[in-house]
Amino acid sequence: MIPEGSTRPLLEVTGLTVDFPSGASRVRAVDEVSFEVRANEICALVGESGCGKSTLAHALVGLVPPPGQVVAGQLRLEGETYSSTSPREWRALRGAQVGMVFQAAMSGFNPVATIGRQVEHILKAHPETFPSVAAGRAYFEELLGLVQLPVQRVWGAYEGELSGGMKQRVAIVTALLLKPRVLVLDEPTTALDVLNQRLVIDLLRQLHQRLGLTMIFVTHDLAVVADVADRTLVMYAGRLVESGGTREIFGRGRKHPYVTALIEAVPSVLEDGLSIRAIAGEVPNLAHLPPGCRFAPRCLMAEALCSEVEPALQCDASGHAVACHVVNRVDWRVST
Amino acid sequence: MNLLELRRVSHWYRPGEASRPALRDVSLLIAPNEVVAVVGESGCGKTTLGKLVAGLYSPSAGEILFEDQPLRSLQGRNKKHYRRSVQLVHQDPYASLNPAVTIGDTIAPALVHHGLARRHNAGVAAARALGAVGLDATPEFLDRYPHQLSGGQRQRVAIARAVSLEPSLVVADEATSMLDVSVRVAVLDLLLSLKQHRELAYLFISHDFGVVRYFARAGRIIVMLYGVVVEEGPTEQLIANPLHPYTVLLLQSVPVPDPARNEQRRRDQLPLVLGGAPPERGCVFSNRCPFATEVCRTTTPPRVEAGLGHKVRCWSPRAALDAGRSTQLSHST
Repeated sequence: MIPEGSTRPLLEVTGLTVDFPSGASRVRAVDEVSFEVRANEICALVGESGCGKSTLAHALVGLVPPPGQVVAGQLRLEGETYSSTSPREWRALRGAQVGMVFQAAMSGFNPVATIGRQVEHILKAHPETFPSVAAGRAYFEELLGLVQLPVQRVWGAYEGELSGGMKQRVAIVTALLLKPRVLVLDEPTTALDVLNQRLVIDLLRQLHQRLGLTMIFVTHDLAVVADVADRTLVMYAGRLVESGGTREIFGRGRKHPYVTALIEAVPSVLEDGLSIRAIAGEVPNLAHLPPGCRFAPRCLMAEALCSEVEPALQCDASGHAVACHVVNRVDWRVST
Repeated sequence: MNLLELRRVSHWYRPGEASRPALRDVSLLIAPNEVVAVVGESGCGKTTLGKLVAGLYSPSAGEILFEDQPLRSLQGRNKKHYRRSVQLVHQDPYASLNPAVTIGDTIAPALVHHGLARRHNAGVAAARALGAVGLDATPEFLDRYPHQLSGGQRQRVAIARAVSLEPSLVVADEATSMLDVSVRVAVLDLLLSLKQHRELAYLFISHDFGVVRYFARAGRIIVMLYGVVVEEGPTEQLIANPLHPYTVLLLQSVPVPDPARNEQRRRDQLPLVLGGAPPERGCVFSNRCPFATEVCRTTTPPRVEAGLGHKVRCWSPRAALDAGRSTQLSHST
C-alpha cells in the first residue's frame, strides 16, 4: 500500500477481522481492515459509533473484550509479526512495545491506591525497562514535567483527588512510562470540555515532537482529527472506507461520499452553518448489514451496483485509498 | 411579556458554608420563541443555571419569574402550568430514559397527567408525539425498551417526551454532545424546526462553540465562567467581535474541520491557563487572563454595554477585541 522508496512502516495491520458471537450468528465488528503507520506519524482512526474503531484499537494491544475474537489478520511491528502471541507474551509486549490510553482512562485508575503505587506496580512488572524502580520514577517525573504536572501533586494522590484534565494527562504519561514505540489512544479528548481538550491535544503534539512518538488516535471528533493527525483513516460499519493525508481528506483530495458527507455535517465556529448538512438515516446495525456497500442506503451517489457488490479498497500511487464503486470507476474528485 | 426572567440569582450547593457559589448574581431574560445559548467550561455553572430554570432547585438568592410570576409563589394550577411549560432534555439519552420502561410508557403518563390525552387514547397520543420527531411510531416501537434503540433514536424519544407536553421553553443541556456526527445535525435541525412550528424558546447549554453558532444563529449567546456571566450578545455579533478575553480563549480553542486553518489559528492563540479555584477578589478570569492589570485583580469589573444587547464584564475589552481579530475569528468564509 505504500509507494516505493518511502520508509518501512513501523506498524502494519493486514486483514484484521474481529467477530463477536451474537446468539447463533456472529457480528463482524472489524472486517478485513488493513493499514500501515509510519514511524513518527500521528494517524487518526475516525468513525461513528459501531464503526469498529475502538474494537480495532483494542485488537492492536491484544485486548479485544470477550466474547470478541480476532478471527483473521496479522499485526506486524517493524516487520515482526506480533498478533499470534500467547497471553504471557502479550503482557510483556503491551505497554512496552504498543502502549494504550483507554477511553475509560479517566476512571481507569484504582481508586484505593495512590497513583505512585500504581506506577511502582507497573515498574515492578516490567523490570527490563529501567535498572531500578527509582530510575523509572525519575523518568515518570520527567514526563510529568512535560505535561506541567508537579510530581508532588500526583505521586501521593488518589485518582479522586485529580481533576478530569489532570487524570487524562496522568493516564497518557503512565502509558508512556515503558517507552512504547506506538501509542494507541482511544477517544482521549471525548469527555473533556474545549479547554481541557486543547490542553491534551497540545500535550500530545509536544510529546510527539519531543519523544518522536508514533500515535494512533481513535476519535469520532473530526475537528480534532483536522487539528492533530498527519494521516486519517475513516471507518464505516466495520470497514475502512478511505485513508489518506489529513489535508487531502479534509480538502479537495477526499473521494468517498461518506467522508464528504461526514465532514459537511460538522458545524464550525468559523462558518455561519448554512453549508451544514445532516446525513439521512443512521449507521447500520452490524447484525443487519445492507448488501453491497454499507453506506449505499444513505448515499446520494449510489448506483445499482452499490447495493449488490461490496466495493474493495483501492489505493492510488500516492497512498490514498478509497472503497467506492463510483469514485474508483471514474476517479472523480469530489468537489468541495 | 417575558417568558422567563432571572433576577440577580445566586446559588450555593452547600448554603451556610463559605464555599463559592455555583451561580453568582446572574440576571437573564428569555423572550418567547427565543434561542439563548450558554457556553463555558466544565464547572462554569451552566448546568446549574439550566436546573434552576427547569425548577429542579430553588435559587439560594434572587428571583426566577415565569411569565412574570415568581416561581416561589406558584401554587396549584399555576405551578402545574409552569411544570408543563418548561421541559428539560438531558445530555445522556442512555441515562435519561428508564431502562425498565417501554417507549410508550416513557411518554404517555405525562400526557395524561397534564390533560393532553385521556388514558384510553394515550398510546395514540404518544405515537403522534414520536411521529413529530421523525420516529417510526408503530405499536411495536411503543413496546420497545430503550436498549433496543440507537443513541440517535433515544435522544429523539427524550425530545418527544419534552415537546409532547407543548412547552414554551425547553432547556437542552448538552443535548447533542453524545450523538454521532451524522446524527447530531439532524437532531439540531429537528429542534430548530420545532421552535419554528411550536413557538418554542430554548435555553441551549453547550461547551462547543461550533454547535452553538449553528444552533443559536438567530439568537443570543451567554458566556459563563465560575458562575458569572462574563459576556452576552447576539450570536454573530459576539462571535465576530468577542469582547471578553475568556470568550476569545474559548473561540480560539475550538478546533475546526480544516487542518490548514487550525494550524494558522494555533500561531495566534492566547496562552491556555487552566484555573483551579477562581480568584478571591476582582474579575473571575484575572488569574488566567494575559491582559490582567492591578484593577482586574482587586475590583469586580462593571458590566459594559457595547450596543445591540452586547454586554461584557471586563476592564479592558479592547484587548480581547484585538486578540480576536488577529486570529481571524471575525472572518467567515
